[in-house]
Amino acid sequence: MLEIRNLTKSYGDIQALDRFSLELGKGEVLGLLGPNGAGKTTLISILAGTLGGFTGTVNFLGRNLFADRGLKNRLGVVPQEMAFYEDLSARDNLLFWGGLYDVPKAELKRRAGELLELVELAGRAKEPVKNFSGGMKRRLNTAIGLLHRPDLLLLDEPTVGIDVQAKVSILEIIRGVGAAGTAVIFTTHQLAEVETTCSRIAIMDHGRILAQGTLDELVRIVGERDILEISGEFAAAAFSGAVRELAGNDVELLSVADGLAVLAVTDTEQIPRVMGRLFREKLAVADLKIKTPSLETVFLRLTGRSLRD
Amino acid sequence: MRRLLLILGSDVRRHLKAPLPIIIFILIPLMMTGLIGMIFAPRVEDGQLPPIQVLLVDHDQGLVSKLLVGAFDNDQMKKTLQVTVTDEAEGRKRMRKGSASAMVVIPERFTLDLLDARPVTIEVVKNPAEQFLPDVVEEFVNTMAVVLSGAVQAFAEEAKGIRAMLESPLGSISWEMLSPQLGRAQKKMIAAERYLNPLLVRLNTQETTAAGARTRFTQADLFAAILPGMAIMFLLFIVQTLMRDILSERTDGKLRRMMTTPLRPLELIGARLLGGWVMGMAVLLVMVAVGTLVFRVAWGPFGDFLLLGAAGAFWTAAFFALFHALVRNRNQAGALGAPLILAFSLFGGSMMNPEAMPKAFRAVGILTPNRWFIDGAALVREGLFPLAALIVLAGSGLLLLALAVPALRRRISE
Repeated sequence: MLEIRNLTKSYGDIQALDRFSLELGKGEVLGLLGPNGAGKTTLISILAGTLGGFTGTVNFLGRNLFADRGLKNRLGVVPQEMAFYEDLSARDNLLFWGGLYDVPKAELKRRAGELLELVELAGRAKEPVKNFSGGMKRRLNTAIGLLHRPDLLLLDEPTVGIDVQAKVSILEIIRGVGAAGTAVIFTTHQLAEVETTCSRIAIMDHGRILAQGTLDELVRIVGERDILEISGEFAAAAFSGAVRELAGNDVELLSVADGLAVLAVTDTEQIPRVMGRLFREKLAVADLKIKTPSLETVFLRLTGRSLRD
Repeated sequence: MRRLLLILGSDVRRHLKAPLPIIIFILIPLMMTGLIGMIFAPRVEDGQLPPIQVLLVDHDQGLVSKLLVGAFDNDQMKKTLQVTVTDEAEGRKRMRKGSASAMVVIPERFTLDLLDARPVTIEVVKNPAEQFLPDVVEEFVNTMAVVLSGAVQAFAEEAKGIRAMLESPLGSISWEMLSPQLGRAQKKMIAAERYLNPLLVRLNTQETTAAGARTRFTQADLFAAILPGMAIMFLLFIVQTLMRDILSERTDGKLRRMMTTPLRPLELIGARLLGGWVMGMAVLLVMVAVGTLVFRVAWGPFGDFLLLGAAGAFWTAAFFALFHALVRNRNQAGALGAPLILAFSLFGGSMMNPEAMPKAFRAVGILTPNRWFIDGAALVREGLFPLAALIVLAGSGLLLLALAVPALRRRISE
């Protein structure tokens, strides 16, 4: 359904997308994970048709996405901003934004009612949106992208700044949309969101996909290893220097920052080796946690950065 | 076109749901017009007539004309009329300057013709800029005409005697000759009223054609002079406020979201321009309606005024489309927009009469929409078609539009 080939975009010296390639099939829900500046929003903006000045090709439903304006009717976009009119009611907003697509008026009215039910806003459909809570606004923002039953839905951090209940509701909607056959790409910082929602996960940084696959496939990248999370009062450089001699097949430094380091070890017997080394180097270790590999570990291993960075 | 109308309808609905800025921008010019009109309109206070300046030209210099001059000059009338006897050339010159309310011209042979019972005409030249004051003079002269006509008809026999005496040397007139005339006159005076018709003395009333005095100047005229200037000034404010949406929509992501739909940039620009124009016209029509109903303003042929309003609103929408394509953000638009509108209004005559401005100001004024709109409205009021104003407003509006469309398009695509 969607085929992205060598998409490249730069802002001056900064490479936002670097020969980015991706394929997405019908009904697939792809979670795009990446730290800030990884290129996620740039990718969504290009696909949405709001950002130019790039190279590469994007075919959607077998046609060039940027040459065929009619394809915009098959594409739904949920931007990060609450992009709707606060003075208008939820229903008027849906009718307005839906009206910009080629949807027959009667169908649009029916669909607006349906979506208001879906996002649990039917009871307040006629109220000005400015009276809504953040979560309600996010749900409306999502509903607007679904009005014309798109074949591809792009969501740019759709759950930012909302409470757990609203987040769960939006993720449920995304799962439902995917189950109904719409391909979905959504970007997020929240690992748990992609773990529970997506059929496929892609981790990107520096404008490229570093790894992609199902959650299990990604976790296998780290392998059957234990993860050590060590915190204390140490400098990142000192920690790196201390474990350098241990690095090899049995011990891998996944990420390090001042006061926090994450390592992968092949078995628990490696733990005393690591700790002994750190004590010999007089590093002040305050806490040690032993974890099983997770998406976060994969992310750390691939990007060397926490998602919070 | 469907999407264009959809955006237009949505914009109008949104602005009507939060109408406070529009209401304020409609009320302010109306209130200002009302206040200025009430403060500066000519008026009579406490029922007292102001002194009425009257010029009197006596070509006759006869007995009756002197009686008439005397009537104007008696102590009772002096409280109301300040009469200056002058020659006709000087009198007309002063009337053209507007330095008197009316001029009364008594023709040659007035006394002789009157005593011969031949119709005579007194000319009253009125200055319409003095509101009702010339009418007081006209009424007074009219009353005198009635009295004189009645007197001459009632005392026809006596008049003949007096007419004959007027041709005799003054020293030859004796009381013996006069007494029979006076005796008959006494009897007739009782039934004088029966002989008052038809009038022998008639009035010929004219109005001066001095500049600015072509029509009667009333408080409504003052409102009509002020309101177009106020209307165009606040039209600029309103359209600027409405079109500022372009910038906020760009900042808050609505514009980007619109561009993810099949909507074309040109449709969006068209909708914004049309929205500015429609709202501008609506506001203008409200002002016109209030001006007509409350201030009794006569706008002239309504179709012509509507055309002028449409051209003014078009210019305003095109200008602010370009303006908002060039400024960086909403704050900058707010900071630059208001001084620009005030400058347009100051130089263009919305705040003061252009005639009262220094020459340099007047020259700058022709670069503003205010000046063309105000001048156009004045022409329409006089029943003339404001062709030049329409050409300038629509022509320069098109030029602004030609510059605004690519600039806005670039802005939307950024």
